[in-house]
Amino acid sequence: MQLTRERVSAWTKEGALVALILFQAACTSLFVADVFDDIKEAGHITLHLNIELFANLGLIAGIAVEGVVLWKLLRRQAMAERALSAAQGAMADLMAEQFRHWGLTAAEADVASFTIKGFTIAETAELRGSSEATVKSHLNAVYRKAGVSGRAQLVSVFVEELFHGPIRSDAAPQTASAK
Amino acid sequence: MAIKDASFTDFSESEDRPASPRGTHHVWDIFVRIFHWSIVGLFTANAFFTSPKHDLHHYIGYTVAGLVTLRIIWGLVGSHHARFTSFPPSPSGALTQLRDMATGRRHAHLGHSPLGALMIYNLLVTLLVIAGSGYLMTTDAYWGVKWVEELHVTAVDWAEISVAAHIVAVIYESRRLRVNLARAMITGKKVFGRSGR
Repeated sequence: MQLTRERVSAWTKEGALVALILFQAACTSLFVADVFDDIKEAGHITLHLNIELFANLGLIAGIAVEGVVLWKLLRRQAMAERALSAAQGAMADLMAEQFRHWGLTAAEADVASFTIKGFTIAETAELRGSSEATVKSHLNAVYRKAGVSGRAQLVSVFVEELFHGPIRSDAAPQTASAK
Repeated sequence: MAIKDASFTDFSESEDRPASPRGTHHVWDIFVRIFHWSIVGLFTANAFFTSPKHDLHHYIGYTVAGLVTLRIIWGLVGSHHARFTSFPPSPSGALTQLRDMATGRRHAHLGHSPLGALMIYNLLVTLLVIAGSGYLMTTDAYWGVKWVEELHVTAVDWAEISVAAHIVAVIYESRRLRVNLARAMITGKKVFGRSGR
């Protein structure tokens, strides 16, 4: 297995979302600055300024939501790491959902995904820029939260999930003679 | 399994450098540091304390314009980490840094980080706009012209918001990467903690 630590291309939906967030943040900050200048000039908050402040809250809420979406997109992308095929993307979604269900932190989820991909503790530490001791403690937290005994069981959680799906429903049942 | 690190060589860090720097590195030369803290003082003075009608406000503005010009020249001929070629504007580098934040990966940068680089360009341009529009307001041709005043005030608002974001980012990144970035801008040395501790 080979994993290069990929740079995130800017010409993706993540890049587009960042551009949108920056644009909206710039607009909002100027609106907010404008309202404060008006308040300073008027000496008090008029009804009109109240409405403007309220409208700004809407803009800020929108940016916050986009920020959360971006954060999730980046996490998903880190998990998929060059998910070129649909199956890889689907697997990344599956893992993300399961990690969320287990309540893993961002760092724990990242360590778990590297582990599932077959990287050793040393390699995971290298990829994450942390020490092996840190990776080990993250990994222990993952095993504890997932209720599994170790790496093999952790992987089997997802393998089992894949077997549940209609991978080959048309496959002929195996018999003892068909070795 | 081979692990190749693409994110550092691409960002003009020299190739023999380990993925995450360790130990103490002298990164900011004396000009960069004096420039940084001079701008801090002069911008704060003009944004909050000096009267725009006063000569002092204008002299400070000219000084800022001069310093920014020198910084741009230093960006072409200065020391390694001060040069623009060592921190080109890189949207994909910035996104990679954001992803590191979102996943708790810690990859410190020896010089400017990609997001930090974007802030530098933003601030340099904004300061030039402030100084330029401010100068126009003192000329006969543009004195009292509304759009010039609006541009000046808006650019100052933008700079203040940028500075606030800059300070928040420096604190956040210092904690995340365990490198005291603010102190590095005083001593010139980044002290990288043993990663993962």
